[in-house]
Amino acid sequence: MAQTNPPFMSGVPELLLLRLLEQQEMYGYELVRSIRTVTGEAISLGEGVIYPALHGLERNGALKSRRKAVAGRTRVYYGLTAKGRKRLVKLADDWRRIQGGIESALGTPAHA
Amino acid sequence: MPRPDVTALRNKLLQAGISPTYVRRTVRELNDHFEDLVDEGLDAGRDRDAAERQALQSLGAMSNVAAAMRDQPQLKSWAWRWPRIAVVIYPLACVAALPVVPIVAGVQHAESITRWGLGLVLAAFVTATMFLVLQLAITLT
Repeated sequence: MAQTNPPFMSGVPELLLLRLLEQQEMYGYELVRSIRTVTGEAISLGEGVIYPALHGLERNGALKSRRKAVAGRTRVYYGLTAKGRKRLVKLADDWRRIQGGIESALGTPAHA
Repeated sequence: MPRPDVTALRNKLLQAGISPTYVRRTVRELNDHFEDLVDEGLDAGRDRDAAERQALQSLGAMSNVAAAMRDQPQLKSWAWRWPRIAVVIYPLACVAALPVVPIVAGVQHAESITRWGLGLVLAAFVTATMFLVLQLAITLT
């Protein structure tokens, strides 16, 4: 089965999904491919679990969805809402703050 | 032929109280995703069986999908989120629906009911005519 990420990755898929959907509407399969590409395959999701994340974000009002027929298949395309943009800004700020904190900690010599 | 076990997933999600709307959507999107992965494998030169096996592996275990859905309380049906309200609303809705049901059924089966009604009127007319003829025959003889 596909390799999943450890618990400390909690919140990262949400941030990535919002960031990618900020640029353009995408459907699940496209999103998984984009996550692989933009993270240089550093983040590998069990692909099926993207749908609970997308549906949860949609239910919270951060995403909107619409069906679109493409090449004989009906795709569900997801896009960002105004609420989703606000959420993205907040998550990105939180992430940068945590990242800065960890980088600072890693740069400081450990106490004996 | 390997395929994601969406039937078991559907049952698990419904048992966990996930809204049927989201259960249907998840199953449909997983099936579409699987087909996209198979197409990707075929384009990469794999045979169908190998492409489907690889697609199944990439999609991940359905138990992980079920667990991820269960972790999203907002995806549960309203009856699971507010069971006390459901206990009150459901019986009231059923009682309110009782008088409406015959009307709805009447509208849905209007043609059959009209035919049945006309048949009944015709049968009553024929019977009444026969009784009248019989009565006249008795009176006149």
